[in-house]
Amino acid sequence: MTDRLASKDAFDRFQRAAADRWQRMWDGDQLVVSVQVDSSSVAKGALRVLAACREATAGTNAIVREVSGNGAMWMEPAVEVKRPGEPPIVYGWIAAEDVPALLAGQLRDRAVGVRGTEAFAGIPPLHEHSFFKHQLRIVMEDFGVIEPGSIEDAIARGAYSSLAKVLFDMTPEEAIAEVTAANLRGRGGAGFPAGIKWESGRKARNQPKFVVVNSHEGEPNVYKDRRIHEGDPHKILEGMLISSVTCGAERAYNYIGGEYPLAIKRFRKAVADAERLGLIGENILGSGKSVEVRVRTGGGAYICGEGSALMYSVMGVRGQPRTKPPRSVEEGLWRRPTILNNTETLANVPAIINKGGEWFSQIGTSNSAGTKMMTVQGPLKRVGLVETRMGITMRTLIDEVWGGMRDGHVFKGVQTGGVSAGPITGGQLGYAVDFDSMTEIGGMLGSGGFVVFDQHVCPVDFARYLTAFNRVESCSKCVPCHRGNPALVEILDRIRLGGGAVEDLSLMERTSKHIIDLSLCGLGQVAPMPLLGMMKSYTQDFLDHIENHVCAAGSCPISATRVLAAAAD
Amino acid sequence: MEDTAPTIVGPLATNGPASPRDIPPDAIIDLDEVRRMLSHFHYRDFQEAQELILSALQEVNEHFGWVSLEAADVVAEHFGTTATRVYGLLTFYADFRTEPRGKHFMLLCHGMACYVMGSQRLVQNLEDVWGIADGGTTADGELTVQVVNGCLGVCDRAPICKLDADYFGDLTVESLNEAIRAAIAGSGSWRDAHHPVAAGSNHD
Ligand SMILES: Cc1cc2nc3c(=O)[nH]c(=O)nc-3n(C[C@H](O)[C@H](O)[C@H](O)COP(=O)(O)O)c2cc1C
Ligand code: SF4
Ligand code: FES
Repeated sequence: MTDRLASKDAFDRFQRAAADRWQRMWDGDQLVVSVQVDSSSVAKGALRVLAACREATAGTNAIVREVSGNGAMWMEPAVEVKRPGEPPIVYGWIAAEDVPALLAGQLRDRAVGVRGTEAFAGIPPLHEHSFFKHQLRIVMEDFGVIEPGSIEDAIARGAYSSLAKVLFDMTPEEAIAEVTAANLRGRGGAGFPAGIKWESGRKARNQPKFVVVNSHEGEPNVYKDRRIHEGDPHKILEGMLISSVTCGAERAYNYIGGEYPLAIKRFRKAVADAERLGLIGENILGSGKSVEVRVRTGGGAYICGEGSALMYSVMGVRGQPRTKPPRSVEEGLWRRPTILNNTETLANVPAIINKGGEWFSQIGTSNSAGTKMMTVQGPLKRVGLVETRMGITMRTLIDEVWGGMRDGHVFKGVQTGGVSAGPITGGQLGYAVDFDSMTEIGGMLGSGGFVVFDQHVCPVDFARYLTAFNRVESCSKCVPCHRGNPALVEILDRIRLGGGAVEDLSLMERTSKHIIDLSLCGLGQVAPMPLLGMMKSYTQDFLDHIENHVCAAGSCPISATRVLAAAAD
Repeated sequence: MEDTAPTIVGPLATNGPASPRDIPPDAIIDLDEVRRMLSHFHYRDFQEAQELILSALQEVNEHFGWVSLEAADVVAEHFGTTATRVYGLLTFYADFRTEPRGKHFMLLCHGMACYVMGSQRLVQNLEDVWGIADGGTTADGELTVQVVNGCLGVCDRAPICKLDADYFGDLTVESLNEAIRAAIAGSGSWRDAHHPVAAGSNHD
C-alpha cells in the first residue's frame, strides 16, 4: 500500500517506478495475456475467457491482465498475447475453450494484428487494419493497453502528469488559455467551446463552485462515454481535476448513467485509488489545492442528460429542465456556479495540457479541432467504437472503417444526431463529419452516434420510432413538447395504418414548428427534427403510404392490411 | 416484522398503486434489511442527504427488484424527507419499479441498433405471445420485461436482450421465445444478474 504522495517530487518518483515496472513487464521473459473485458465483450463471454486464462496459467509466472476493449466489437472477445521475445499480438473471436490452444501459440489464423509498428511472422501491425488505419486516438490511446483497474498502469503511461503540470508549472489562466487555444468544443452534442465556458466559470464570483461531468449517455444511438469509464477512467478523472483546479471548484461530480454498472465500478475504483495516492482530496500533492470527487448515478431518464435537469437529478429531485438564464456557470448545482462538460470533452484535456493547445488545434478541421469518438449501429460488417480526426467523410467511415454493408443488406441512409437531427442519404456520403458540415443537409454530429439503415427499415416507421422516443422521454413540464410529440406520433400512426392524407404532411410540418419554437428545453426544441429530415429525404416513401397504401419495407401495419385484403380476394 | 412496519399517512396510503396481483412472499421487502442498507448512507449535511436519496433508492431497487411504498417510507425517514417526495422520484425515473419483478427479468434493447435490426417485432411478440407490454409481468409471475430505450452497448449483436444473467444476441422472434422458455424451465432467476450499482456515499 502506497502512502499519499505529498509533493511533486514524490509523484515524480512514483511515476518513474511505475514506468520501470511497466517496461519490465513488457521486456520480461514471461507470458503477458491481456483479456479485453468491457460491457460489450462481457455479453459475449469475455469473463469466461478471462477465467480460462487465469486457470490455464495458474502456477506459472505468466501475467494475466484485465484490460478493456479497443473498440473493435466485431472481433470480441479479444485477447492480446505477448510471448517473450515477440511483440504483443491481438487475437479475435476467442471463446473460453480456445484458450489452451491460444496460449500454446496456435490460432494464428485469428490474429488480427500486432500492437506495435512492425509486422511479425506474417501478421501485420494492427494500425494497418482498415478498421484502425483511419483512426487517431487521443482519448482512446490506452484502451486495451492499460488495466483500467490499475492506477499504476495509468501513471506509467503518463496519467496525472498534466494535473501536476497545472498544479505546479502553470497558472490557472495559462491552463485555460491552452484549452481555448485548442479550440476544444463540447462533445456532448452542442459543440460549445470549453475554453470559453471555463473562463466564465473561473470568473464567476459566487462560492463554492462545482465541476460536473455529464456521463449520462441516455441516447439510444451511442455508447462512447461508458467506454471511456471502462477503458481509461483516469483520463476522465484527470480532466475533472484540471477543470476544478483551473476554475476554482473544490468539488467535482461525475453523473453516470445507472445502466452502466461496469463503468460505475471502474470509475469508483479509479476514484478510490486516486484518493489513496493523494491525487484527490485535501492538499493535492502538497499543492494547497483541494478537490473532492463525488459519483452520482442516473435513473434511466434521458432528459437528465440536459444540463439543468442533470443538476436537479443530482440534487435528488425530478430531472426537469428550467428556463435559462441564468446559465449554469452562473447558477447551477445548489445555485452555485457550475461548469458542466461531457465526459469525452474532459478526457481530451490531459493531452491538451501535455502537448499544448496549438498541437490539438492542428488536428481535424479549422472549426472542429481534434478527434471525435464515433459509434456505429446497423447492418455493417465491423460495428464498433472508433476515434478519428474530425473531418473524415461519412463514406470513408462506412466503406472502410466499418467495412461496408453486411451481405444481403442494401444501404438506405444514415441517421445522424441521434434523436435530434435527420438522416443523410446515399448521395450525401461525401460530407465531412464534423460539427458544422452536415448541418446544411439537416444532419448533425451530435454525440457521434451514427445509425446506418437498410431496405428493411421504413422511413415512416423510423420517423415514428424517433418521435415516439422523444414523446416517452419528454419530462412533461411544458405543453408544446408534452402534447405536441404525441400528436405527431398519432398522425404518423394514421399514415402507417393507411389512413393518412396528403394534408397530414403539412399538418406535421406546422405542428413541428410549434414544438420547435415554443418548447422550453433542448429536447422539445429539436424533437421534430428527425421527422422533418425523414420527410425531406424520403418524401416518396411517405407519399407511397398515403396515396398508394404501400410500405415498401413491409414494416408498417399498412402491409398487414394489404395481406389481409389479398387473402380475402 | 409487524412491529417495524411504518405507519404511512397522507395520500400515499390510500392512493398508492393497487397491486394487480398479490405480492409473492419472496418479493416482500424486509424493512430491517432496508435499514441496514441505509446505514451505509452517511451524510454530513443537507446537500449530501439530498444527493444520496436517489442512490439509496437505486440500491434498494437493485437488491429487491422493486421499491415498495413501505420501503420508500423508510428511505424518506432516513433522509429526513417526505414519502411523497420519494415516491415522486420512483415514478419519474424509469429504472425504478413500484411492483415486484417476476421470477425472471428481461431487458429488451430497443435502442437504435436494435430497432434497425428489427426489435419492433420482438416488442410486438412479447405482447402477442406473452401478453406483456413494457414493464409488465406475465400473469403467472414468471417473467417481467423492461424495454430499454437507451442502448445496451452490444450493438454488433443487435437485436439483443439480457435475460437474467445472460445475453441473447442476433435475436429473432423464435430465438427470443426459445430463450424465454428455457429460462422459465431452468433454475435461474433475475437475482443471478444482480449487480449492485455500487451506489453508496463517498464516505463509507
Ligand atoms: C435532452 C438532452 C439530453 C442530453 N443528453 C446529454 C448526455 O447524455 N450527455 C452529454 O454530455 N450531454 C447531453 N446533453 C447536452 C448537455 O445539455 C450539455 O450541453 C453538455 O453536457 C455540455 O457539455 P459539453 O459542452 O462538454 O458538450 C443533452 C441535452 C439535451 C437537451
Ligand atoms: S421541452 Fe419537453 S423535455 Fe424540455 S422541459 Fe419541455 S416538456 Fe420537458
Ligand atoms: S441499441 Fe441495442 S445494443 Fe445498442
